[in-house]
Amino acid sequence: MGCYCSTSKKTEAQGYEEPTILSSETPCEYHDPSLNVTVSEVEALHELYKKLSNSIVEDGLIHKEEFQLALFRNKNKKNLFADRIFDLFDLKRNGVIEFGEFVRSLGVFHPNAALEDKITFAFRLYDLRQTGFIEREELKEMVLALLHESDLELSDDMIETIVDKTFSDADINGDGRIDQDEWKAFVSKHPSLIKNMTLPYLKDITLAFPSFVIRTDIEESEM
Amino acid sequence: MGLVKKIGKYQLGRTIGEGTFSKVKLAVNGNNGQKVAIKVIDKHMVLENNLKNQVKREIRTMKLLHHPNIVRIHEVIGTKTKIYIVMEYVSGGQLLDKISYGEKLNACEARKLFQQLIDALKYCHNKGVYHRDLKPENLLLDSKGNLKVSDFGLSALQKHNDVLNTRCGSPGYVAPELLLSKGYDGAAADVWSCGVILFELLAGYLPFNDRNLMNLYGKIWKAEYRCPPWFTQNQKKLIAKILEPRPVKRITIPDIVEDEWFQTDYKPVFASEFDQNINLDDVDVAFNSIKENIRESTIPKSSSFINAFQLIAMSQDLDLSGLFEEQDEKKQRTRLGSKHTINETIEKIEAAATDVGLSIEKMNNFKIKMQPKQIMTRCSRSYLSAQVIEVAPTHCVIEISKSTGDLRVYHKFCESLSNLLKQKPDVPSQSQDSVDLCAAERKKQDAGCYEEPKSEDSKPLPGYKSA
Repeated sequence: MGCYCSTSKKTEAQGYEEPTILSSETPCEYHDPSLNVTVSEVEALHELYKKLSNSIVEDGLIHKEEFQLALFRNKNKKNLFADRIFDLFDLKRNGVIEFGEFVRSLGVFHPNAALEDKITFAFRLYDLRQTGFIEREELKEMVLALLHESDLELSDDMIETIVDKTFSDADINGDGRIDQDEWKAFVSKHPSLIKNMTLPYLKDITLAFPSFVIRTDIEESEM
Repeated sequence: MGLVKKIGKYQLGRTIGEGTFSKVKLAVNGNNGQKVAIKVIDKHMVLENNLKNQVKREIRTMKLLHHPNIVRIHEVIGTKTKIYIVMEYVSGGQLLDKISYGEKLNACEARKLFQQLIDALKYCHNKGVYHRDLKPENLLLDSKGNLKVSDFGLSALQKHNDVLNTRCGSPGYVAPELLLSKGYDGAAADVWSCGVILFELLAGYLPFNDRNLMNLYGKIWKAEYRCPPWFTQNQKKLIAKILEPRPVKRITIPDIVEDEWFQTDYKPVFASEFDQNINLDDVDVAFNSIKENIRESTIPKSSSFINAFQLIAMSQDLDLSGLFEEQDEKKQRTRLGSKHTINETIEKIEAAATDVGLSIEKMNNFKIKMQPKQIMTRCSRSYLSAQVIEVAPTHCVIEISKSTGDLRVYHKFCESLSNLLKQKPDVPSQSQDSVDLCAAERKKQDAGCYEEPKSEDSKPLPGYKSA
């Protein structure tokens, strides 16, 4: 882990905020006081952010097309899940991802982030219509979208069986939808459900941008 | 696999029975020379079909059955790959052999066997155990001609579909309510099968028989049968009560015992009132190593169907690591769909790996690691891994990922595997659809294949027929 140092340099990029402020802030939707990203990690993320935010429109902000381009190498490829992730990252709901939003949202994916935050983020991701519940039709829609993207073909009956089976396991009170408590219990039984909520890269983010490390006097302990 | 000739104190001999999930071998107790029959079950098969807890529970149950007309379990032994159920050896062979070639038993002999069968059922049903697959192959005769029921309670190894689809006569013994694939009363279903067996003992042929499967189901459904001329009035009356297609109206075992014809020369057998203190620890020990395999698996199989969120979580679309892998435009991961069982899929992965010159190392039941056979210095760390996740009994998802190294082998492997997966299965997979009369109407083509059943090349040796 890197040591803390308040040395920082201002840049003229829009949306730039002091890395020490960002790394010490917790996302307002989550109340875990522990730090998810370090100062050097914030610095490195900013390099990534600049790259993403200027890939199509040079305004220093990540638009949806730029987000899709980063994920799929194709700005025109639309995807149900990418849309959901973009919407969740866009904390201000203004149609773009600013740097602060970027860091706060990615913080959930850090290996050190609290499990509770990952579970909650996944729940909000799957709650397609933001009703506060995962409804059966939402789950089916996600399965269909997934199958559409892959070459896996399942019959309608098979899909219904999978969705029914999943709901019979997860919907404890039997009201036909999954609330947050049921979701937490379900994820506790199936931890693999949130393995995609962790990005090991975030621990190695400074290694991906070594030029930035050289330009600061922060010292990193190397494994 | 080397030849296993000795298990514990037992010397294994020839195979005396074979079934879908297991074999039965003759063995000798090295300590006292006693002959036993050992049913050998493959642990991987149990695990693959998600039957571990069910099989374990049923073996424990079977061990508790102490009745002169039920094959007894002496002990259970587990090795790394197999479970061995050591059972009483019944030397007289199958009842099936006695009633082959249209021969019928005389009424007294038939009644005695039927009485012993009902006694065994009465004992087991009182303990909440049902057979669910009663047929002459599961009825053995000892050296004195007494009946012994085998495989009581081992329904886990005999799926409903197996019962309905096997070609060794099972369709003829199935109760009509089983054709609906709904929940059913195990006791009533066993009673029906007893009626079919009684008819066969007295008549020398099956009451419901038709080479067309659909016609056969129709007859069972309507209890459409005809008694031969030599049936007495009492026999007809009892059989009519047993072969009643409505389970709620079907005669029960206590009422069968009260029947006038049944009571003739009836000598009730009493199970030992002081059951031995039976130790069930060996069953637990035999199954313990299966648990370890499950613990190793990254995706435990709690059922044969993956849950929908696992499908979604596997999606590349939710994998944000794409944000950090800009430098490498090429995919590091590929997901393929497979319309094969998980076992067939794993075989194809191994075939594709061999095809492109990779060596194979199985990490666990569902993950395979592959490396180039000639390890060069530069790519000594490179390897592929394939993970197989079962979505449905005949649908799998294969996730192939690659560590650092040469992309060419990776692409060759993916291409080879993709081609293999497109090949049609060697054996048509059995339909998972429920079987009912409406479905049977739509399966005339399927039923047609029963019109010319292939004769079996080799009949199982006299003795045991395992599930």
